Amino acid sequence: MSDKQLSQKEIQALEQYLPMWKIVFGQFLQHKMAVVGLITILIFVAIALLAPVISAVTGLDPNRQNPLARYLKPGTVAPLGSSQKEEAVLNFENREPQAAQALRADLMSKQLVQSVREEDALYDLAFLEKNQALEVLKKLKTPEAKKFEKVFDSFETYHLLGTDDTGRDVFIRLVYGTRVSLGIGVVVAIMATLIGLIVGALAGFYGGFIDSALMRITDSLLSLPTIPLLILMAAIKGKDFLEKIGIDEQEYTSSAVLSFLLENEAIIKLVFILLIFSWMTTARLVRGSILSLKEREFILAAKTLGAKDSTIIVRHLFPNVISVILVSVTLKVGDSILFEAAMSFLGLGVQPPTPSWGNMLFNAQDLIQEAPFLAILPGLLILAVTLSFNYLGDGLQDAIDPKAIRR
Amino acid sequence: MTTYIVRRMLQTFVVIILLSYVCFYLMTLMPGDPVELMIQSNPKITSADIERLRTLYGLDQPAYKRYANWVSSIVQGDLGYSRTYRVPVSELIGPKLVNTFVLSMSSLLLAILIAVPLGVLCALRAGSKLDYTVNFFAFAGISMPSFWLAIVLIIIFSVTLGWLPAGGTSTIGFEPTGILDGGLDRLKYLILPTLSLAYLSIGSFLRFVRASMMDAMRNDYIRTAKAKGLPRLAVVWKHGFRNALIPLITIIALSFSGVFSGAIITETVFAYQGVGKLVFDSITGNDFNVAMVSFVISVSMVLLMNLIADILYGVADPRISYK
Repeated sequence: MSDKQLSQKEIQALEQYLPMWKIVFGQFLQHKMAVVGLITILIFVAIALLAPVISAVTGLDPNRQNPLARYLKPGTVAPLGSSQKEEAVLNFENREPQAAQALRADLMSKQLVQSVREEDALYDLAFLEKNQALEVLKKLKTPEAKKFEKVFDSFETYHLLGTDDTGRDVFIRLVYGTRVSLGIGVVVAIMATLIGLIVGALAGFYGGFIDSALMRITDSLLSLPTIPLLILMAAIKGKDFLEKIGIDEQEYTSSAVLSFLLENEAIIKLVFILLIFSWMTTARLVRGSILSLKEREFILAAKTLGAKDSTIIVRHLFPNVISVILVSVTLKVGDSILFEAAMSFLGLGVQPPTPSWGNMLFNAQDLIQEAPFLAILPGLLILAVTLSFNYLGDGLQDAIDPKAIRR
Repeated sequence: MTTYIVRRMLQTFVVIILLSYVCFYLMTLMPGDPVELMIQSNPKITSADIERLRTLYGLDQPAYKRYANWVSSIVQGDLGYSRTYRVPVSELIGPKLVNTFVLSMSSLLLAILIAVPLGVLCALRAGSKLDYTVNFFAFAGISMPSFWLAIVLIIIFSVTLGWLPAGGTSTIGFEPTGILDGGLDRLKYLILPTLSLAYLSIGSFLRFVRASMMDAMRNDYIRTAKAKGLPRLAVVWKHGFRNALIPLITIIALSFSGVFSGAIITETVFAYQGVGKLVFDSITGNDFNVAMVSFVISVSMVLLMNLIADILYGVADPRISYK
């Protein structure tokens, strides 16, 4: 210790009262990778939430196929097929019949297109080279022509990240895949943590028979080999199961709940299967902290004041395990995303055409020769997001743990 | 100790029975039992024939009775026939078990050889640039989908460079002239699966070695050993590492089950003919007998490894007591 007198300012700084969350936040900011992870996650969450907006702005559709533009390299422009051009013109005609009528008449009277019938005029124009057609429209100088020019803009699509084996845009599929993969990850993580919280709290608080029964279940589930069981459960179709337990087709098509479940079978089953296998670690952690918490004075005080068990658990114990919960949710999101990807990769998870990072990889696996980049991108995204969640969890753990606080 | 082991073995046995029943029940839910396949291949079949065939194969009985029949035939050594491959299951499984064993062991060995020295080095230089870099890659290993790494390895080493085969177990039609020749051929097919499987365990091993080594190096006896003037290497390996080793043994034994289970995906990507791929193919392809046997084998392997890990825990660390 040095003999240096502390200045007034330093004493003030030392005596300043810091609320807990500020200490934790300050600690968290020191873990640089965790901050980077948090920012990455926020970006991906924004992408997931804004997916329809991105789709509308860029004019790309995750399910639009284009046989003329298969396996395009990243950053290429692709023309639309003729049927899609026709569709676009038809849309224009339906949307603005008067403008189309006027334009057709103009085109025919000035003999700008070589159409036999007037109805074909717009279509013939659409099939011309883009620049040629635009020149024709410029010559007309009518407001209708201006409107039709816009239709031409949609005739070409720019593929930032190229296209896949059916000519679908990879970029927009990845954007929508973010929704599915991140969504499943977050839902599974939150639900699994809730189950773990309840099981752990009950086991820790009541002890005795409840404790040993619940922990036996937890331990045995924890020791099970996950992947063979996941494959087995995912391979069984919901329909077959319902028929086996005596519910026939008429019954499940008439019941709203069952038919909803069957329609979204793949995703619901995936979430359910992942849930079964991911609540156990949280349950053990929560039980551990509640075992020590329930011996503390404030619980004794609550008991003497006559608080109900549920009040003690929810009002007094839950707030004290928040740190455990927070870390567990974060780490679990990463795990769940990995599991979802693995299942979808085996063809047992999210089913196409719904894009998820895992099934995009499943699709790309057979196309390594033709289009290796298709396999790289989804995996990189999985890696980036999972890594971010793991670093975030690590950072939170360090920040919340009082033993790790550095002053 | 003995009672503990016996009790754990009994527990493991019960779990295997339960799981195999679950697998059996779920497999019966799949459409297409042997009789249905016969109906498809023979349009002239009458409903009386179908009844007779069902009774003959015991398909009219409830699932638990059929399960009991299946268990009794397994105990007698009859594993049944594969529907897909048309060979007895016992012939099918043997070589695949060996393949999976070779793959798991080589990747585990590789993971240990890389993770242990690196982990110790990181623990000794905690907070250095090296520590940060290695830690990042370890984290990346934990966060990386194994099959994606496998695909990337295939793209680099077999599609682009053309050095190694993209999948399989050995060259088809290749007649090895000697052990060395055949071994080299097998090795070529083993490298990529081993690498991709090992990288996953390297991440978790490394973080674990680092943490437990740092714990060990904080002990008072390390300070004493240093104060005595022992050479640094002796302090690190004899006093530090040996104490860090205790939890490491368990982690390695535990991760063996993880490697075995993770091999399913790796084997599927590389079309490596092991039990893992067999589990996947037979369950999705509804190959009943093969699915049951391979499922039970892989589940038993995992559970047995967990059991061994628990026992080793006690052997390595006498402070742990068994009740």
